[in-house]
Amino acid sequence: MNETSSRLFEESSERIAGRLMQKAHNQDGLPEIAIGVVFLALAVVCWLPTAVQPRSPAYVAAICGQALLIPILCLRLPWAIKTVRRKFLIEREGYVESRPANRKYVAIVIAIAIAFGIAGVFAAFRGSFPPASWVLGATGIGGGVLAAIAGKLPRFITGGAVMAVTGLVLAFSAVSLATGFAILYGLMGALSLLSGCVVFLHFLHFMRLPAEPGE
Amino acid sequence: MSAKIQRLAEIDRVIHEPGRLMIVALLAAVEEADFQYLRQTTGLTQGNLSAHLTKLDEAGYIAIEKTFRGKYPLTLCRLTERGKEVLDNYRKVIKAAL
Repeated sequence: MNETSSRLFEESSERIAGRLMQKAHNQDGLPEIAIGVVFLALAVVCWLPTAVQPRSPAYVAAICGQALLIPILCLRLPWAIKTVRRKFLIEREGYVESRPANRKYVAIVIAIAIAFGIAGVFAAFRGSFPPASWVLGATGIGGGVLAAIAGKLPRFITGGAVMAVTGLVLAFSAVSLATGFAILYGLMGALSLLSGCVVFLHFLHFMRLPAEPGE
Repeated sequence: MSAKIQRLAEIDRVIHEPGRLMIVALLAAVEEADFQYLRQTTGLTQGNLSAHLTKLDEAGYIAIEKTFRGKYPLTLCRLTERGKEVLDNYRKVIKAAL
């Protein structure tokens, strides 16, 4: 409490609220488990088309997975996390109703995604994709920086650093784009899943149910 | 300059207390939160948090709703319009003065 009190005079109340909420949001490890699942799914759908015969059922499933699985996972996993928390963890971690997402940020994210999509289509028409090494390096560094900024906690910063280094190592190796993505996403997914499970078990062990519930 | 410094005297003492400022800042960032969440997030003790919530409720800065979820009592807290105004004013005064 004393530490928090002194911090209040150094930081603005918004930053403190953001930091405390970020810490609370990640205290049970569920977001990391969800990110791990998404990354592992990404790794599988990147690797599968290179490992099976073109036009085979597995190949078609992998292509459909690339198109459908990831958006579905990204849309449904936040709902799944919320449901698990409300059903099983509410007595341990309490209840919070977040504000709806800031429209300005959502619009920025959508605009960036559309810009990347247009750039991809344009590159496909011209047949001038950047070299695989550039894409892998940029994905690793970009993803690592994003993880560190969004996560803020030391374990996310470490994960971001691992992602950036892995991206750079893959960029300087002679792997294909699909294999590189499979390795990058697979490693990050496994790390995130492992870290999430450790945090979740730690949370269940140390955050015991209150003896006198509520107040 | 001295006028800005003198504005510090206008600061609302109810939310100036660090524990209460932490609660109000947190509630400003969410729609609503329960007692347990506020306790976990702020690190305040049960008694301390309860006392701070009572003071904020009495000042009309937060609204408290007591309900149940199964056998567990659920104490929901949300920032009122008055609470938002006071927090905004607090921010302005502190920013202008320091």
